[in-house]
Amino acid sequence: MALIEVEHLKKYFNVASGTNHAVDDITMKIEKGRTMGVVGESGCGKSTLGRTIIRLQDPTDGVIRLNGEDITNVSGRKLREVRERMSIIFQDPYSSLNPRMTVEQTIREPLMESRRYNRKEVEEKARELMDLVGIEKRLRLAYPHELDGGRRQRVGIARAIALQPDFIMCDEPVSALDVSIQAQVLNLLMDLQQDFGLAYMFVTHDLSVVRHIADDISVMYLGQLVETAPAKELFKQPLHPYTKALLSAIPSIDISKPMQRVQLKGEITSAINPKPGCRFAPRCPYATEACSQPQTLTEVAPNHFVSCCNIQKI
Amino acid sequence: MSENTNFLEVKDLVVEYTADGEIVHAVNGISLSLKKGETLGLVGETGAGKTTIAKAILKILPDPPAKIRQGEIILDGVDLLKAPEKDMLKIRGAKIAMIFQDPMTALNPLMTVGDQIMEVVQLHNNFTKQEALEHTFQMLEMVGIPRVRSVEFPHQFSGGMKQRVVIAMALACNPELLLADEPTTALDVTIQAQVLEMINELKVKLNSSMILITHDLGVVAQTCDKVAVIYAGEIMESGSKEDLFLNPSHPYTLGLFGSLPKMDDDSKRLTPIRGMPLDPTLDRHGCPFADRCSQATKACHHGVMPNVEVSKDHFVRCIKFAKEAN
Repeated sequence: MALIEVEHLKKYFNVASGTNHAVDDITMKIEKGRTMGVVGESGCGKSTLGRTIIRLQDPTDGVIRLNGEDITNVSGRKLREVRERMSIIFQDPYSSLNPRMTVEQTIREPLMESRRYNRKEVEEKARELMDLVGIEKRLRLAYPHELDGGRRQRVGIARAIALQPDFIMCDEPVSALDVSIQAQVLNLLMDLQQDFGLAYMFVTHDLSVVRHIADDISVMYLGQLVETAPAKELFKQPLHPYTKALLSAIPSIDISKPMQRVQLKGEITSAINPKPGCRFAPRCPYATEACSQPQTLTEVAPNHFVSCCNIQKI
Repeated sequence: MSENTNFLEVKDLVVEYTADGEIVHAVNGISLSLKKGETLGLVGETGAGKTTIAKAILKILPDPPAKIRQGEIILDGVDLLKAPEKDMLKIRGAKIAMIFQDPMTALNPLMTVGDQIMEVVQLHNNFTKQEALEHTFQMLEMVGIPRVRSVEFPHQFSGGMKQRVVIAMALACNPELLLADEPTTALDVTIQAQVLEMINELKVKLNSSMILITHDLGVVAQTCDKVAVIYAGEIMESGSKEDLFLNPSHPYTLGLFGSLPKMDDDSKRLTPIRGMPLDPTLDRHGCPFADRCSQATKACHHGVMPNVEVSKDHFVRCIKFAKEAN
C-alpha cells in the first residue's frame, strides 16, 4: 500500500471566463520514503495538485488516501490529525514566515498547537529542530527580516518537520534561492528524508533539481498528467512529445552540446473550459486528428505511463 | 573601427550605495571589455552587483543612494561617465538599450504595447507618424507578435509575449550595445528557449554587442562568447566561454559548478559552497570569498588579490595562481 494514493483527483475553480480545470483527473501514488517530483510550466496546476492532496483546498472530485485511509472529506478534529501527518514547505521564504514572530516562536507554534507536549518539551524540541536544520542558536530571537533566504527556508523546513509528518509537499522550496544556497537546502532535505523516512512531493519547474532529488517524476500540462516514470528513465527516454520538448529546452552547461531544441508552436494556453482531447495538441509537432479524443494514461514500460495516442508513431 | 578594438571598455568601476548611514560596496573595481558583435555573460548570485554594472553603463543609477566613486565607461571612444545628460538621452535607447528582468513591471500598464514601442522609435528617429507606425509593426512581427495586437495593453499578453514586447522595444532603434538583465528568468523553460534563440538571431542580424546578466550557467553556456564571474562586486574569473566551462579555476567558480545538480550525474549529494555571501557593508580586506573558500590561507585575508592570467585572456583573481605562476 502506498503512503499517498490519489485517484481521479479534480480541482476546478470558477473564474470570470468559465471553469478553470486546474487539476483534471489525476491519479498517482507516492510510496513511503520516496520522492515524487512534479514538473510543468507555470499555471499547469502542479501546486494546486499538491495543496489539494494535503487538504489545503477541497477537491472537486476524486479520492485521496493516506496510508489507505480515505481523507478526501475529513473535517474537524480528524482533519487536524491528518494535517499533522502531512505538511508543506512553501516556495517563498520571504512571505511564508510571520514577520512579527521570532525564529523560536515560529518553530514552537506547531509544537504547541498540537497539544502533544508540555512547555518544557516544546522548548527542548524547538532547540533540537533548530540544530537539525542547521540554524545557529544565536538566531533564536531573530526575526525573519534579519535572516537571508537560505536560513528562512531552513526555518520553514523546521516548522514542516516539527510534528514528524509522514509526507511533505515541497512547493518549489529552492527556486527563490541562489545556487550555492540551493545546494545546501537540497542536501538538508535529502538528509532529513533518509533520517526520518519522509515521503516528498517535490513541485518544481527546475528540471535539473528534480532530476537530482526525485525517485519518480510526473510531468503535468494544463491540469493533466502527460507522463510519469522513474526519474532516470524519464530523462533517458522521454516519450510524450511535451516531455521531450521540455527536456530539450533546458540549456545545458556542457558547451560541447549545443541545444537541439524541439520546436514548439505557440505558447501555453489555459485550462479554462478546455476542449476534450489532448491539451498539448495545439502546440504538438506530431498532432493528428486522433488527438482531439480524450487520452488515457497507458503503461508502456514498467512504471512508465504516457498519455499520448500517437506514442507508437513517434 | 577595426575588428579588434574594444567597442565597450569599463575600467576600474567602483559603485557604492548609502543605506541607513552604512556604505554598501556594490561594485568594487570592475573592468570589462567587449568587441563588436560579442556577447559577454555576467554570472553571479543575488547581490553580486551585476545589475548595478548595467545600470552604471546606462547611467540610470539613482543618486542618491548610488554613487559612482571612480572608473571609466568608454563606449566607442566616448567616456559615458563624463558625458552630459543631454548626450546620454540620445545614447540611451538608441545606442545602448536594456532588456529588463521583469516583463510584468517593465511595461506601462496604461499604454498599448504599440504606443510604447512607437515612443522609442519617434524619440530617436526623424520618422513621420506613418513611418514610425510601420517600423513598430515590423518590430512586433520580428519578435513574433502579429501587428493587430499592437493596440492591446500589456495585461492582455502572457509573460513570454510581454518579454518579447520588451525585447522589441529594446531593439527598436538597432542598438549597438544590448544590456540584457536576466531576460528569461521570469519565463518557463520552453519559452526561455524561444526567447534566447530570438535574442541570438536578432543580435547576429544587427551585429550588436551584448552583456547578458544571469545566474544560470546553462544560459551562459548556450549563448555567450565570453564570461565574467562576479562575487561581491569583484570579477573573480573571466575568459572565453571555453576557458570558464572547460577549465574553471577560481575556487568560487568551482563552487558554483559543484552546487549545480548535474543532468548526467547520479551522485546524490551536492557539494555546496559553505557559509553565506559576504556582508557588503563590511570594509574589504583581501579576497571577498576567503571566508567561504576551502583553500583559503592567511594571506587571502589581507592585501590586494592579484589578477593572474593563467592562459591567454583567461584571468583568475586568486593568490593561489600567483604563487604557481612564480
